[in-house]
Amino acid sequence: MENLQTVNNFVAAYLKKKGFQDAEQFLEDLQNKDSTPIDFQNDPDLANFIQPFSRSEDDPSRYHEGYGKLRSWTFSLPDLYKRELVRVLYPFFIHSFMDLVAKGHVQEARTFFNTFHEDHEMIHLRDLQKLEGVVSQSHLEEMEFARSLRQRKVNVKICQYSYDLLLQYLRKTESTTMLAVINEHINFQVIPGQSSSIPDDAEVVSLIGDRQDVNQKEILWGLLEDSLEERLEKAGGLLSDSEKAEGETKEGDIDETKKRSVESGKQGASTKKLKKDKAVNATAKAARPEPTTASAAPRVNPELPLPIMPTEVEQSILEDLRKRVQLSSVPLPSVSFYTFVNTHNGLNCSSISHDGSLVAGGFSDSSLKVWDMAKLGQEAASSVLQNENDSSTSEHVMGPNGGKRSYTLFQGHSGPVYSATFSPLGDFILSSSADTTIRLWSTKLNANLVCYKGHNYPVWDVQFSPVGHFFASSSHDRTARIWSMDRIQPLRVMAGHLSDVDCVQWHANCNYIATGSSDKTVRMWDVQSGECVRIFIGHRSMILSLAVSPDGRHMASGDEDGTIMMWDLSSGRCVTPLMGHTSCVWTLAFSCEGSLLASGSADCTVKLWDVTTSTKVPRSEEKSGSANRLRSLKTLPTKSTPVYSLQFSKRNVLFAAGTLSKTV
Amino acid sequence: MSIVPKETIEVIAQSVGITNLSADAALALAPDVEYRMREIMQEAIKCMRHSRRTILTREDVDGALSLRNVEPVYGFASGGPLQFKRALGHRDLFYVDDRDVDIRDIIEAPLPKAPLDSAVVCHWLAIEGVQPAIPENAPVGVIAAPSNGKDYEQKGGHSVDIKLPVKHVLSRELQLYFDKITELTVSKSDSVLFKEALVSLATDSGLHPLVPYFTCFVADEVSRGLNDYSLLFALMRVVWSLLQNSHINMEPYLHQLMPSVATCLVSRKLGNKAAENHWELRDFTAKLVASMCKKFGHVYNTLQTRLTRTLLNALLDPKRTLTQHYGAIQGLAALGPKVVHLLILPNLEPYLRLLEPEMLLETQKNATKRYEAWRVYGALLHAAGECIHDRLKIFPPFPSLQAQAVWKTNAKVITTAPNKRKASREPMDIEPPLKRTETDVQALASTSPSSPHMQEGTVTPPPSSDSGVGQSSSDGKVIDDGRAGSGVGKQKGDSQALKTSAILKQVWKEDLNSGQLLVQLFELFGEGILSFIPAPETSLFL
Repeated sequence: MENLQTVNNFVAAYLKKKGFQDAEQFLEDLQNKDSTPIDFQNDPDLANFIQPFSRSEDDPSRYHEGYGKLRSWTFSLPDLYKRELVRVLYPFFIHSFMDLVAKGHVQEARTFFNTFHEDHEMIHLRDLQKLEGVVSQSHLEEMEFARSLRQRKVNVKICQYSYDLLLQYLRKTESTTMLAVINEHINFQVIPGQSSSIPDDAEVVSLIGDRQDVNQKEILWGLLEDSLEERLEKAGGLLSDSEKAEGETKEGDIDETKKRSVESGKQGASTKKLKKDKAVNATAKAARPEPTTASAAPRVNPELPLPIMPTEVEQSILEDLRKRVQLSSVPLPSVSFYTFVNTHNGLNCSSISHDGSLVAGGFSDSSLKVWDMAKLGQEAASSVLQNENDSSTSEHVMGPNGGKRSYTLFQGHSGPVYSATFSPLGDFILSSSADTTIRLWSTKLNANLVCYKGHNYPVWDVQFSPVGHFFASSSHDRTARIWSMDRIQPLRVMAGHLSDVDCVQWHANCNYIATGSSDKTVRMWDVQSGECVRIFIGHRSMILSLAVSPDGRHMASGDEDGTIMMWDLSSGRCVTPLMGHTSCVWTLAFSCEGSLLASGSADCTVKLWDVTTSTKVPRSEEKSGSANRLRSLKTLPTKSTPVYSLQFSKRNVLFAAGTLSKTV
Repeated sequence: MSIVPKETIEVIAQSVGITNLSADAALALAPDVEYRMREIMQEAIKCMRHSRRTILTREDVDGALSLRNVEPVYGFASGGPLQFKRALGHRDLFYVDDRDVDIRDIIEAPLPKAPLDSAVVCHWLAIEGVQPAIPENAPVGVIAAPSNGKDYEQKGGHSVDIKLPVKHVLSRELQLYFDKITELTVSKSDSVLFKEALVSLATDSGLHPLVPYFTCFVADEVSRGLNDYSLLFALMRVVWSLLQNSHINMEPYLHQLMPSVATCLVSRKLGNKAAENHWELRDFTAKLVASMCKKFGHVYNTLQTRLTRTLLNALLDPKRTLTQHYGAIQGLAALGPKVVHLLILPNLEPYLRLLEPEMLLETQKNATKRYEAWRVYGALLHAAGECIHDRLKIFPPFPSLQAQAVWKTNAKVITTAPNKRKASREPMDIEPPLKRTETDVQALASTSPSSPHMQEGTVTPPPSSDSGVGQSSSDGKVIDDGRAGSGVGKQKGDSQALKTSAILKQVWKEDLNSGQLLVQLFELFGEGILSFIPAPETSLFL
């Protein structure tokens, strides 16, 4: 009797612990109603019922059995529900595995992993690779990824019927281990209706719980009020009329003056540059009549104090805007390619100034080298003229051994340079390095001006804001930071990513920044408050590049596998993935009016994508199924040159840079 | 349990001086080592990605270690992969083969060349979406319909812009270039300018868009101008130049080119007048065909089989003319000795039986026919000689140095520079001198009959001491009779082979086939030749 009492107590305690209230109630009722001792030794039904519970709770084989049964049951379901429930298997799998590890059954955990991991390899390969190495309790605690998995609940969207099926199964088979996993780690969001109504995107099973509320926040994605583009539009009719009157002959003159103002100081543009501009002019004239597309975007006020632009610069920008080529799926851009040669595998990053005249390369030997393309052309021209004017060549920077260098060398970092960015006017360069610092260089003085210290780990990326003065950086220390040029301390620190912040990009209106991380998410942060306002989930590997469309409505992100995703900022949803690249997407760039997206990849191609069709489609149509409207327009293969950076000039010439890598 | 076996831990422990590591400790350490390694690799991959690379290097691992505040691994800065060696007596134990380096060697070594400084070069990757065909750009692939856009249209159904199936724009410069080249080919193929044009075709990089047009042009002109010898030759030269051009991928157009080229090889009649040297054209085309097969055989694997089948059919059809046979033989011979061995030699005997009556004065009264027959005979002899030469080269211990020299010079005489000349002269030389007066051959024959033979006679050193007699006698023969160089070569090869056979039986056994082949060839070609073989060799042979 006493024995029975302890058993009853044990059972009651167990049920309470596991939260089976019905069963607990039932047991209590049973005890109250029938106080006669239950002969559970002789009652086969009861013995069967008790048996699974009475087994030691630590028995590791239960996970294996329970999961195995659930898996085979799932695979025997009709296709409609199988699709849904197979996805649900993944959280079961990882949590069973981690439970096993946590309880110290390392050997069993390994066997369990090896038996079942193949089911999930296709979608979750990288996560599995991370988890595979976990073999002890301490690893679980140490590893950020595992810890976050165990602390948070997994959200699973599932249709009513599938949910019922699952519960029914779990009740019938009394697999308590699986029930325990559900109770502890899975948060089912049951959606009424057929299972086919659930969108087949990756966010159905999302491992990070807090995004639901985050993405509800309002985001003002409009463009800045009183921007130059806007002013141009207002003055549009007037300007175009006067220009027509100017006629052909004056065109060249304007061109010259413009260049002088932009490259003030660098006299005598190269012949190549001239040719480029002419080509642009020709097309610009042809395509002028179309109205600019950005007009539809709403206007917002800047939250940052914006720097004031000198009038002559403003004039030259306006001039560029007027001469811009209208790009769409039919008129494709001209692409000028800067190839780095003899880099000896040392080039880590490259950057092109907004007018394409300066190219910077960050090297693993801590140096930053800047080439002035206008001067390069001049050099070639002067050599053709057999060095008639020796005065021009003597101005070049002399190397240590007296040899002439074709570039300006910036030395100051003490670790590989991972990123470089030009200010909008091309007079400053920022570089970030593994030595945890960001340095500001002047291209006029050829000197280091400031060294910004704040990050604790290598700084992976740094980007000037579209208006200059402010810049954002991202680092291995899992933060992104906002800086201004005149302060050596960061203005804002954005923390929240679960792993390295690999890339950063400014929103067109400077009120937000977007960051891409190794935790496979892209986040959007409010610059003023420092809060996270959007989380974009969907990538399956580390995010390497970001670009925000000029109208501020969309964002593109590229990852390690070669997938590019277009996001709608206001809804936080993926518009469509762009598949085509076979290797890392190092860089992305939108054309100036936002109709084209260019992507550069390690597979030695530049791809041009048509993004107008998608952005123009109204919401309702988008949902109706024919979502895959973005298309690849053109693939431009390079000669074994991975593409490191892309930059559309204000006149919509695409500049690309990469290093020639010989494949032996 | 862990992918790191505990033995590895024990070895590492020993290497750092811990000799009494218990098995339990090693077992417990192994999984942790694995975990740390994975962690380091994960960080290293991050470093690799941020260096914009797709290949992991030791710098990345060092970077990862410094991220984790671990001392980096020193001493692996030198390039090149590490050499692992297996430890003696252990099956699964490896160590890094670290050579001792003498510091003096390093100090005294001359300074390595300074690496080139990095630079930036600029080019147009695309102009308004079209890639210019310049050497800086990747070679453009086959011009194909823009399949991508079409797919979408079919799927989407409501896409607006419709593309034409193939839109291929030739720039004006290219059109002019094409017109100029075709004009030169058709009308002025013997001018200096045409030679320049051929060089341009073989080297210029931007010609890819023109290839389909050239292909069409060649096919058209060949079918139209079979009577125009100089045109055909010019066309073949154009094809040859295009094949030489490394910026052009000819592979997609081969199926269009091959028929015209094959026509120039085995056509019944090439050129109008008998005086025109169509033999030369056939020889040239044979070389062309062979180079095509060599260049594209690996991508287009049915190419050679199809070609050889065509040629063999031409050869084995007795109704075809002798000129066709000649072309077929030359074509097959150019494809290499293996082909000759497999395809011609088995058919040699019956073929020669057919050919013989054509060659003799008594049976074939027509001098032109007889001349053709002798040409064919010469070609066969040449092919067989090449083949047997190749076979004999295989004898591994055979090359007593001098013999090799003999063969080298022979080969040179037969195959290279004067090849065409030689081939054309050879058959005439074969003819007995008394007949030469009857066949009023071209000036070619009358000009010094045997400069190659003279060469041969002077170059040949006595292969071994005992063949000195034979050597001198054969020299004499060459001078007084002027038998074909290859014939002489074969004799010598034969005698050489026989000598080796006496010396090295086992090698002989190994290559019994080729020995038999030699005998067979000898019987076929050599009835006349046999009498000239010096006494010791004959006795050996018999």
